[in-house]
Amino acid sequence: MYFAVNGKKVFATTGGKPFDNKKPAVIFLHGSGLDHTFWGLHSRFFAFRKYAVLAPDLPGHSHSEGAALTTIEAMADWLHDVVTTLGIDNISLVAHSQGCLIALEFAARYPQQLRTVSFIASGLATPVNPTLIDNAENDPQAAIAMMTSWGFGSAGHMHQGPIPGSSMLGGGQKVMWRNVPDGLATDLKACDTYQNGKVTATKLSGPIQVILGGRDRMAPRKATQELIDHLSGPEVHIIAQSGHMVPLEAPDTCRDLLKTFIFTNNPAT
Amino acid sequence: MSHFYHFDTLSLHAGQTVDSDFGARATPIYQTTSYVFPDTDTAASIFNLERGGHAYSRITNPTVAVLEQRIAALEGGPAAVCTASGMAATFCAITAILGQGDHIVASSQMYGGNISLMKNTLPRFGITTTFVDPTDVEGFRAALQDNTRLVYGELIGNPGLDILDLEGVAAICAENHIPFMVDATFNTPYLCRCFDYGVNITIHSVTKWMGGHGSAIGGVVIDGGNFDWGASDKYPTITDDYAPFSGINLWEEFGPGAFAMRIRTEAMRDIGPTMSPMSAFLLLQGIETLSLRMDKHLANTKVMLKYLSDHAQVSWVSHPDLSAHRSHALAKKYLPKGAGSIVSFGVKGGRDAGKAFIENVELVSHLANVGDSKTLIIHPATTTHSRIDAEALVAAGISDDMIRLSVGLEDVADIKADFETGFRAAKKIANP
Repeated sequence: MYFAVNGKKVFATTGGKPFDNKKPAVIFLHGSGLDHTFWGLHSRFFAFRKYAVLAPDLPGHSHSEGAALTTIEAMADWLHDVVTTLGIDNISLVAHSQGCLIALEFAARYPQQLRTVSFIASGLATPVNPTLIDNAENDPQAAIAMMTSWGFGSAGHMHQGPIPGSSMLGGGQKVMWRNVPDGLATDLKACDTYQNGKVTATKLSGPIQVILGGRDRMAPRKATQELIDHLSGPEVHIIAQSGHMVPLEAPDTCRDLLKTFIFTNNPAT
Repeated sequence: MSHFYHFDTLSLHAGQTVDSDFGARATPIYQTTSYVFPDTDTAASIFNLERGGHAYSRITNPTVAVLEQRIAALEGGPAAVCTASGMAATFCAITAILGQGDHIVASSQMYGGNISLMKNTLPRFGITTTFVDPTDVEGFRAALQDNTRLVYGELIGNPGLDILDLEGVAAICAENHIPFMVDATFNTPYLCRCFDYGVNITIHSVTKWMGGHGSAIGGVVIDGGNFDWGASDKYPTITDDYAPFSGINLWEEFGPGAFAMRIRTEAMRDIGPTMSPMSAFLLLQGIETLSLRMDKHLANTKVMLKYLSDHAQVSWVSHPDLSAHRSHALAKKYLPKGAGSIVSFGVKGGRDAGKAFIENVELVSHLANVGDSKTLIIHPATTTHSRIDAEALVAAGISDDMIRLSVGLEDVADIKADFETGFRAAKKIANP
């Protein structure tokens, strides 16, 4: 669905059901250069199980208007504007990679409506290789190659797909092409400069879940452990065979973990 | 900094998950109609497209899925759908986005089945086609109508062998927000990846070079994932809610794979032109050696081109790799490894001499196929293109004396020796 935030058109998939702000909302936050389609194998599942689903495209990404936001803090504020615009008062936040940094900042700034947070494949910070940022601005094809080469594990590199007949690697690359150079480059710079994770993580309360890929090269174990150490009692799951793109590479395991966590801690009736 | 598997590696491995039960290295043949669901929730979620998985082999099958993912990988697309034949692929791809009142602009130099589909069958469903000379790029623009929803062609025209200027036609399509669909059977992704030049959808008869062994019929549609279906309201089958699947919006949910999902959710379910698991297995065996076979096809073709060009009983030879061919420059651009292994030539003495040639070769097979590992010949005017009228024959570049040769993988000396037998018989007709 489309709606306006700060005068700009925003697109969000609602998982095939009309968005109903009276239901508990599951909000999915995508990573750098990606969009709502990243959550296709999760958003529809929750929408058909009594949750209001919202998987927005960040500003300047795919179907959402405006320039890409330049800081994680601005993205968290924008998300708050989305929540306010739609009148949402019960949120389970599910975030991947850059989305996790937004989730950290949002949770620290606007904890009132938040019931649960699921962090997927992230640390407290995401320092970005300078060559990647340079390529994102000047050689998008090389940047997309770097992102997807590092991002996908062996299943992705072998063009397996969570849906029969689809290649998750091919799909991921095409989505990123929609968002270059501005969306991807701005995202990467925002990630690179975000330093507030250590502060915000300690402010979080309530049920927290961390899902990691055992073969993640973009959020290595040392970085993800730092996130875990700063959170208050998160449940932690490591999907051994997955790379960074956990929701695509291990969709059934990831969905089952999200389902159990959200159904338990923020049930929809 | 980044590394992806290369073509030959993908030809062997892409799309396959090694069998978790027994560790089978080859892709197992899942010869089953249906699949046991672990619980009702999983069953419901698969039917509702909330998760991947197999429900019924008319829609998806694990063996066929490996082939689809392998071909998608080789072509560089996000998704593919295999079908029972190449013609099924073409029909499913067209009808996924076109309906009553819509219009196609298509090359006049195409496989006779494609021409017949567009000229005779699709008009019954209210879809009309304007055919244009593929060597006239601006002709595609001139033929566009307000209701044009598709531009269609073959990179290597069959059997005239003119090369379609992909970038030129793609630019016209992009300007007018019309998808560009190309039958890439004759080139295979080893010789040209059409998506790299702006094509949006490719079709293959995988019966031909992709499979290579002449043992299985099959087709495939590959979604390039590079067409913005939502940029206009011209493609409602992709962008509007689809009632049969709880109002799913394919463009919204699947983005770059939305077109393939339309075929999967509509054509495979409502029409059912399904590839069998056995065929998929056989075609996978062929694709494992695609590059090796194509290199040999090209090497033999090079020898045969010189042989035919020098032969006293040959009146003309046509192949885009020959400098005299009008598409030679385009062939060098789009097909730098070589412009495939189909050769057209005429036998001195006309139709009767040609007939004598065909009937007197022994090693070379006279049949209606191309792209087999074995060398094949046929007379298009009386066979593959016999159902199209004289005017269309001319437009397709088919002359009465044309023989179409599909160069195989035999020792090329044996092919030449067999041809000598045919030419001796033809000479008796030409010079009684």
